[in-house]
Amino acid sequence: MKIVIAGAGNVGTHLAKLLAGENQDIILIDESEDKLSRMDSSFDLLTIQESPVSLRGLKEAGAGSADLFVAVTPDESRNLISCQLAHMLGAKKTVARIDNFEYLQPKNKEYFSSLGVDSLIYPEMLAAKDIVDGMKLSWIRQWWEFAGGALVMMGIKLRKNAQILDKPLAELGRELPYHIVAILREGETIIPSGNDTMKAGDLVYFMTMKKHIPHIRKIAGKEELPDVRDVIIMGGSRIAVRTAQLMPDYMNLKIIESDMARCNRLTELVDDSVMVINGDGRDPSLLMSEGIQHTEAFVALTDNSETNILACLAAKRFGVTKTIAEVENIDYINMAEKLDIGTVINKKKIAASHIYQMMLDADVTNVKCLTFANADVAEFNVIEGARITRSLIKDISLPRGVTIGGLIRDKEAILVTGNTQIQPGDHVVVFCLEGMIKTIEKYFN
Amino acid sequence: MIHFKIIHRILGVLLLIESGILLLCALLPVFYGENDLFGFVMASLISACCGMTCMIVGRSSLNNESAMTRRDGYIVVAVSWVLFSIFGSLPYYLSGYIPSYTDAFFETMSGFTTTGATIIDDIEAMPHGLLFWRSLTQWIGGLGIVFFTVAVLPIFGVGEVQLFAAEAIGPTRYKLHPRISISGRWIITVYLLITILCAVALRFCGMGIFDSVNHAFATAATGGFSTKNSSIAYFNSHSIEYVITFFMYLSGINYGLLFFVAFRGQVRKLIEDSQFKWYTFMLLIFTVIVAIGLFISTSYNAPSSLRNALFHVTSIITTTGFTSTDYTMWPPFLWMILGLCFYFGACAGSTTGGMKSIRIAILSKSMRNEFNRILHPNAVLPVRINGKVIPPSTRQSVLTFSIFFFALVFVGWFFYLAIGIDIAEAYGISLSCLSNIGLTIGYHGCNIPWSDMPCIGKWFSTFLMLMGRLEVFSVLLILTPAFWKHR
Repeated sequence: MKIVIAGAGNVGTHLAKLLAGENQDIILIDESEDKLSRMDSSFDLLTIQESPVSLRGLKEAGAGSADLFVAVTPDESRNLISCQLAHMLGAKKTVARIDNFEYLQPKNKEYFSSLGVDSLIYPEMLAAKDIVDGMKLSWIRQWWEFAGGALVMMGIKLRKNAQILDKPLAELGRELPYHIVAILREGETIIPSGNDTMKAGDLVYFMTMKKHIPHIRKIAGKEELPDVRDVIIMGGSRIAVRTAQLMPDYMNLKIIESDMARCNRLTELVDDSVMVINGDGRDPSLLMSEGIQHTEAFVALTDNSETNILACLAAKRFGVTKTIAEVENIDYINMAEKLDIGTVINKKKIAASHIYQMMLDADVTNVKCLTFANADVAEFNVIEGARITRSLIKDISLPRGVTIGGLIRDKEAILVTGNTQIQPGDHVVVFCLEGMIKTIEKYFN
Repeated sequence: MIHFKIIHRILGVLLLIESGILLLCALLPVFYGENDLFGFVMASLISACCGMTCMIVGRSSLNNESAMTRRDGYIVVAVSWVLFSIFGSLPYYLSGYIPSYTDAFFETMSGFTTTGATIIDDIEAMPHGLLFWRSLTQWIGGLGIVFFTVAVLPIFGVGEVQLFAAEAIGPTRYKLHPRISISGRWIITVYLLITILCAVALRFCGMGIFDSVNHAFATAATGGFSTKNSSIAYFNSHSIEYVITFFMYLSGINYGLLFFVAFRGQVRKLIEDSQFKWYTFMLLIFTVIVAIGLFISTSYNAPSSLRNALFHVTSIITTTGFTSTDYTMWPPFLWMILGLCFYFGACAGSTTGGMKSIRIAILSKSMRNEFNRILHPNAVLPVRINGKVIPPSTRQSVLTFSIFFFALVFVGWFFYLAIGIDIAEAYGISLSCLSNIGLTIGYHGCNIPWSDMPCIGKWFSTFLMLMGRLEVFSVLLILTPAFWKHR
């Protein structure tokens, strides 16, 4: 598959790395020699130093024969033009990164595809959605919905008070209302079998239905944690603005931003329910006077990953239960996890995984990149005669590191056990170690 | 630079228009066979002569009309209001129905500024022609003299932007169309529509044709001149009171929004407008307070306390000044509440006077922010109207306007006290002239006792009315020395 990526910024380079590991033909276009040389020397891809909006450059990169053209420069109008040019040259599918909420509205989709832009991605919007989801269910670290919410998967950090610790999974019972799909322990991802146990400090990924969420909250020992009502966001970035807009009405939000000009701009972007405060979010006395002790969630979204991590640690000391940090430096993500920061948001990973799903061959509608576990979640529609339908799950020798979380049959969610028989037409959610999706695809085709 | 030639030319044209309108009014004495024909014809001739003279003085300005500046606009607007009143008072004076020129000028200024305070003791004794002219002055002044004439007869081609800017009402402008003269015509259409509907509705409620047209003029302009001595109380009809209440309320809404509702069907735009919400909210709150007050403290039953409260609160908040009963017979507590409503005014961009609800909204939000600032010293606290942040410069000009407004109320109060008027009344008159309402409070009735007032008091009142109508700054600006310096 030939993939052209225009723009070697954060998202572009991350996506290029991700895809280069998948044995795809990657061509990266950017005007900056600096950015390209770094990529060129360390990854298996072709770089072209040209403007992403020059026809000559796009021709040189072979945009005309590309299966996928991804425009992820920082400037949305350049991305749109770049996609239009690539489409005109003959690219099969184009994706543009945008900054404008209006463009995402479904009624505009047709217009953009008539322009030659097939898909739009808005990383800040995706990140904001993750943050708001995280705050709505503050005791959950990560949260995914499948098939419109029929099945949910959640990552929960187990503490000493959880009721299901130190027992092999097989002994927990037969007809459980959940299915444990992965355990993350000290940076290592385990796809558990019946003999594995859960320990305090593990991040455990449960697959379940919405109606069973209270039960899981109970067994995970999270019942006494308060719901999030008051939120402080440090750093008035675009993600902060989107978060403010997506946030449910019952939450009160304060945004702390150190740049006065940005504060004034923020007041124009958010509505009356949000208070904008000019100051340094790391300043304890400011945090105290803004009532950090009564705040349930602290979100750090400045440009600086280190600042975000430290600010979240400080907030933890004030007793904030839910901390969310934006960590753009990928190397810090594991560290942030070890330091016990609730949720880590990485724009690049979110954007890249979003684009990544677009190029999977199979009929996959949703692949989420998990920041903590080195794992992918994929959804498959089972077709007639697929290998997976030939026998019961326990009799199919699925490769190690793969587990089937659940399935949707006739709009009803079913949790998968060894005795489940998968039928054609089922919508199956699969959990696997990173990079294994290609391997699993053959069970479904 | 001030371009006197252009100013003369424009004023000349405006005077010719006035002369034309006066001549049209002369048809009424002919129709009714009354003796005020002479006054109208003479007034029309005199203003035509003066208009011609002005035109001749300014004739060579034809080629460089585009040179019109903001200063010229402010001068034209302020002077045209005064000139219109000077010439508009001639029919009263020349026909002999108002023998004192001071009184005639006062009556005309009160008409054009849509104040509705009347000097005439026996209105019903006036001939039809003069009564019609009296209502027409309000109707012309409702949207602004310059606005009205320029929008109806787009004769200048250029300079409209400066003129409209100088006469515009309210802190924010609301453009309907990129071309200002076309927006003007749209707004006039809405105005005409309201007037016609109001006249028809009043006719259906049993008013005579002449009275219904006159009252429709005074209602749509939120002026308050009635053709009857006892105002709306004369008709003694609940349906007339409700119809007038409704049309007063309608005229208090921003005409741009009304246009979108009436011709584009965008009702949502109106309902979501924060100024409209504030206006309606204040109206309802004060109606409820006054209604409860009336029910408890007077012998009114529930429906009639509600009707009276609704009518008077609407009449005062829209700065119309119609009365259906003498509210000063109510307990003083209630007329002080009505006295509070004297300040408000309805929406900016309507025919009402007063401070306008958008300013009240900005002021009250600024006040709330001051308290928040004490609790959160680092917070950045914006003032939002319709979800948009009001720029600090607008906030400041609203605050300055309010200070000027209050200061002028006090200046007026002291002035009226000094010429021997009762303390409560002096306050009422001062505020009422500045807000263009035309009613007062106090123990002597809700109508201002003009006959007792010395000439200087009447002239001062006309000055306050003009200040209020042109939103203080337009008038004060041309009184500043800096305005006249050639810089």
